[in-house]
Amino acid sequence: MQKRSELSNKVLIVGGGMGGIRAALDLAEAGRDVVLVDKAYAIGGLMTSLDRTFPTNNCDLCTLSPRLSESGRELHIDLMTMTEIEGVEGSLGQFKANLTTRPRYIDLQKCTACGECYRQFPGCVRFTPGLDHRAPTCMRYPQATPYAFSIDMEACANVEELVRVCPAGAINPNDKPSSRKVEAGAIILSPGADITDLSLLDTYGYGVFPNVVTSLEYERILSASGPTGGQLVRPSDGKKPRKVAWIQCAGSRSLKKGFSPYCSSACCMYALKEAMVTRERFLENIETTIFYMDMRTYGKDYELYLQRAKNQYGVRFVRSRPHSIDPVFSDGSMMGDLNISYMLYGGSHPQTEQFDMVVLSTGFRISNEVKELAAKLGVELNEHGFAKTASFDPVATSKPGIYACGLFETPKDIPETLVQAGAAACCASGDLSPLRVVHEKMENFPPERDISGEDKRIGIFVCDCENNIGGVIDVKAMAADLKNLPEVVVSEAIGHGCSRDSLEHIQELIQKEKLNRVVIGACSPRTHEAVFQDTLKKAGLNKYLLEIVNLRDQDTWVHNDTPAFAATKAKELMHMGVGAVRLTHPLVDHTLPMNKDVLVVGGGVTGMKAAVSLADAGFKVFLVERSNQLGGNARNVRKTLEGQDVQAYVKTLVERAENHENIQVLKQAVVVDHTGLAGMFKTGVQVGPRMVYRQITHGITILATGALVNRPKEMLLGSHEAVLTQLDLDALIEDSPEKAKALESVVMVQCVGSRVEQNPNCSRICCQSAVKNALRLKELNPEASIIVLYRDMRMPGMQEEYYTKARKLGVIFAPYEIEDKPQVAADGKKVALTYTDPVLGRKVSVSCDGLVLSTGFIADEESTEDLGVIFHLPRTSDGYFLEDHVKLRPVDLPTPGFFVAGAAHSPKSIRDSIAQAQAVASRAQTFLAGDAINMGAAVARVDSNRCAACLICVRSCPFGIPFINSEGHSEIDPAKCHGCGTCASECPAEAIQLMRYEDDLIFAKLDGLFERTA
Amino acid sequence: MENFQPVIVAFCCHYCAYTAADMAGSKRLHYPANVKIIRVPCTGKVSALHMMEALRKGADGVYVAGCLEGDCHFRSGNTRAARRVAYVKKLLDEIGIGGERVEMFCMSAGMGEVFARTASEFTEKIRSLGPNPARVADPACTGTAC
Repeated sequence: MQKRSELSNKVLIVGGGMGGIRAALDLAEAGRDVVLVDKAYAIGGLMTSLDRTFPTNNCDLCTLSPRLSESGRELHIDLMTMTEIEGVEGSLGQFKANLTTRPRYIDLQKCTACGECYRQFPGCVRFTPGLDHRAPTCMRYPQATPYAFSIDMEACANVEELVRVCPAGAINPNDKPSSRKVEAGAIILSPGADITDLSLLDTYGYGVFPNVVTSLEYERILSASGPTGGQLVRPSDGKKPRKVAWIQCAGSRSLKKGFSPYCSSACCMYALKEAMVTRERFLENIETTIFYMDMRTYGKDYELYLQRAKNQYGVRFVRSRPHSIDPVFSDGSMMGDLNISYMLYGGSHPQTEQFDMVVLSTGFRISNEVKELAAKLGVELNEHGFAKTASFDPVATSKPGIYACGLFETPKDIPETLVQAGAAACCASGDLSPLRVVHEKMENFPPERDISGEDKRIGIFVCDCENNIGGVIDVKAMAADLKNLPEVVVSEAIGHGCSRDSLEHIQELIQKEKLNRVVIGACSPRTHEAVFQDTLKKAGLNKYLLEIVNLRDQDTWVHNDTPAFAATKAKELMHMGVGAVRLTHPLVDHTLPMNKDVLVVGGGVTGMKAAVSLADAGFKVFLVERSNQLGGNARNVRKTLEGQDVQAYVKTLVERAENHENIQVLKQAVVVDHTGLAGMFKTGVQVGPRMVYRQITHGITILATGALVNRPKEMLLGSHEAVLTQLDLDALIEDSPEKAKALESVVMVQCVGSRVEQNPNCSRICCQSAVKNALRLKELNPEASIIVLYRDMRMPGMQEEYYTKARKLGVIFAPYEIEDKPQVAADGKKVALTYTDPVLGRKVSVSCDGLVLSTGFIADEESTEDLGVIFHLPRTSDGYFLEDHVKLRPVDLPTPGFFVAGAAHSPKSIRDSIAQAQAVASRAQTFLAGDAINMGAAVARVDSNRCAACLICVRSCPFGIPFINSEGHSEIDPAKCHGCGTCASECPAEAIQLMRYEDDLIFAKLDGLFERTA
Repeated sequence: MENFQPVIVAFCCHYCAYTAADMAGSKRLHYPANVKIIRVPCTGKVSALHMMEALRKGADGVYVAGCLEGDCHFRSGNTRAARRVAYVKKLLDEIGIGGERVEMFCMSAGMGEVFARTASEFTEKIRSLGPNPARVADPACTGTAC
């Protein structure tokens, strides 16, 4: 094996939260070496403290822990916990970092994570921030990676006793700090953020009244691994609360000293999630109320989530920022119930309402430690301590070769963090030497055991997935019951089946009990089959001797209202799985050589950026654009909110794309047909005015088809010259500033054509466009009167400061309700507008010489529908492409080899589109790193003895694969078979069987379902 | 008949209906537990024999759920499945079991709501039809539990 120069092919990642893990995995899968450093005892970051995440409301550890074991397993990732950066020398391409690792006092090689030290020194799991005490040994959460404890020697009174307690002899009290020098071509900073300084929340009585908790503490109370074991009880008296309130912006969007003037971006969504989970899990008469200023649900389908909270879950919303929380005296105590005092918009009397418990939705801030780290690295920060980045280069810091992602860049949620992590991985890998040596995964799987001749020995493992399965059905009882089925040797409940320890346990049992068939009762095989298949491989079993029974997504999640039925169905599903697994047999995957060319559909900023990033990495790219010029919607935008020149950027990018030696640009090109599989696609396009047909062969496809600028025929748009869209105004300000300056009275109306029935989602860019244009008008004419009528001002992160600035300059912002939209009538050259003033509480009429509508985006239904059909890709109900997993795979489409970025995914700004384009380029590189396409084992096989050469299979195969061979019977090339099974079900002689879905296997499932002796 | 709990077998395509069912799960959309899903790579894999066997072994209703028209991952599996379902319906009408016990539905992977609604509606339909006559005639059958 050729040795690569370490200097140029390594990336140092600081911070092992979600962002750091994602970047490390992307780089490692693309064949790059990574050193992942975290100062904590285990990786996982802030996300590990969350109970469930929006919008799927499922348990976090389930989604996170496979990631972590993946991360720990990857051979390209060198994981260093309890490690910090002392200093960094050098520059792009050749950084040298000095790392120091604190002593863990535990030898990771010896530690088996048996937990004996923890049992003997009780209360040692250090995971419940703020709700329990730190103890001598700590492991942050049950699925921690690395799976080992760590000891706080200073807190330990009896070291000798502690050392003796460990059966593995892993505790070493003489452990010393160690240091190491690491050379890296690029550095990714993903150190995360701290939450709001809680000592400042005194007006809310935090730290005084026990029933005022932070959202993170509330997550811990909800969590089954938390201090209350998942029981929702309030801290003061352990009683179940009946009325819970959330107070938004606790510490954010505030000019108070110590607080953050910016918006923390994620809090609206997590408050909705917590309120919904509260209603879902603890139904009995719990009232949930959210006090808010603006509900900032601007992400993809987040608006629908808000509607669900309102309509389906009955969460109550009060638009107000409460000023104080006071205790209610009862039984001589003031530690119980709480009074929230608040003013309603336009109300003249303060309101007071009593609650059992109050959750403060705290935001994010950058810790001093992170600021010091940035100083050591020479990375510039903004005044709030977040990394300074550019409008059109969202993850590049001020220092070349150093990239920022996640909360450190600006406050954001998990999907955006993951997108940025991908972008950072893409940029970092661009700074390394081109990857010449083909990356081969050197997985150390033992040779496969020959099970022919063995009696069937079935092992059954049932996950509880915390409350997700275990909260609805009795997993242990079911496992015990299944033990009685014939040929079942092992049947166990295994907690979190996908956690590292459970997987190792399964592996051990397969080997010890000589199991040769395995059934897992778990979540969906769509997401977790590969994880369990790996475990079989590690245990020396063929990976196809496995059945996954979907107990969570298709049973306990959907039948949690009828637990008895759910339990019966779970048993039936398990019986079906056991019946089927008996008939599984070892299979071999088929592979084909991979085509490494890339097709990018859509030549806007997103498409061009993705194309250029991949072309720079050495891949050949076909960039297909349906119009006669590159640039897309960005051609219509002049300035960003931050004042950057969009046209100059677009011009440079177009030049790069058009002149890049690895990019072939096809304009006026329309995709017309498509066949093949990931790694060997064939797509037909008609190019140019004469629509010349041309076929492109490629390995992956990136969809960057954008969205349409919305121009609904509402509020006189198109029929009155004083009515403009924000884009029209943007152009007017740049092209005819004198006309813009002459506008004396301007009204802007937000959400015109967005957040309505026909286009239910938030268009995301309109609030910032309105603020941007209001500021520019004020600059031209400080006397101009500007009113912005809005539903919720959505200015996440640092954008909030522009909103504040606009209000300071006298722009009036007034909320309107969707049921009471502003009314518009022509008034000569002016427009008369009537709206309900929220302060006066009555109708007000204004005459304005400019009515500016924030119309946002609408999905390009026609185009996404066509492409959805041609490529067989699912779309959301409003016409955007549907990604594989909103949180964990935000730019991967469900069909392998397809990716989506930019406004085709959901409305977004240029900056966010660029980040997604880079993330897509990173994901694409992980895919293109391999040399072979795995075709799987689900291929059709012909039994030549039964074949009558009737030609039905030849005619019915959608891909024309079967043929009649020289021996006079049908033959199907396994390397070409797509595995749909059509031939198998059409064959009149039943001579064809589709592997993994054989007829007898399906019948065995039916038998399992209808077993009379249940 | 209101307490009758029919057993329903749903053959679901991995690329659409099976994913839609998972989607219904993550959205916590309720539907009757009577529906048991069997995953297939494509509804093109579901033969008339599979549907008939399900009914013979004890199902009260069977449905095949595939991709929307034109959306089949394998081009035409769903239209073939629809043809087979029509054929089985005719057959069931002829033998007196009734073709309405078998149905074909189409949906995309994102349609969790459609999956849940379809499952509920089909279950109610079969509930109102009563037990599969072939099953009632089976002497081994002891009632709703079988």
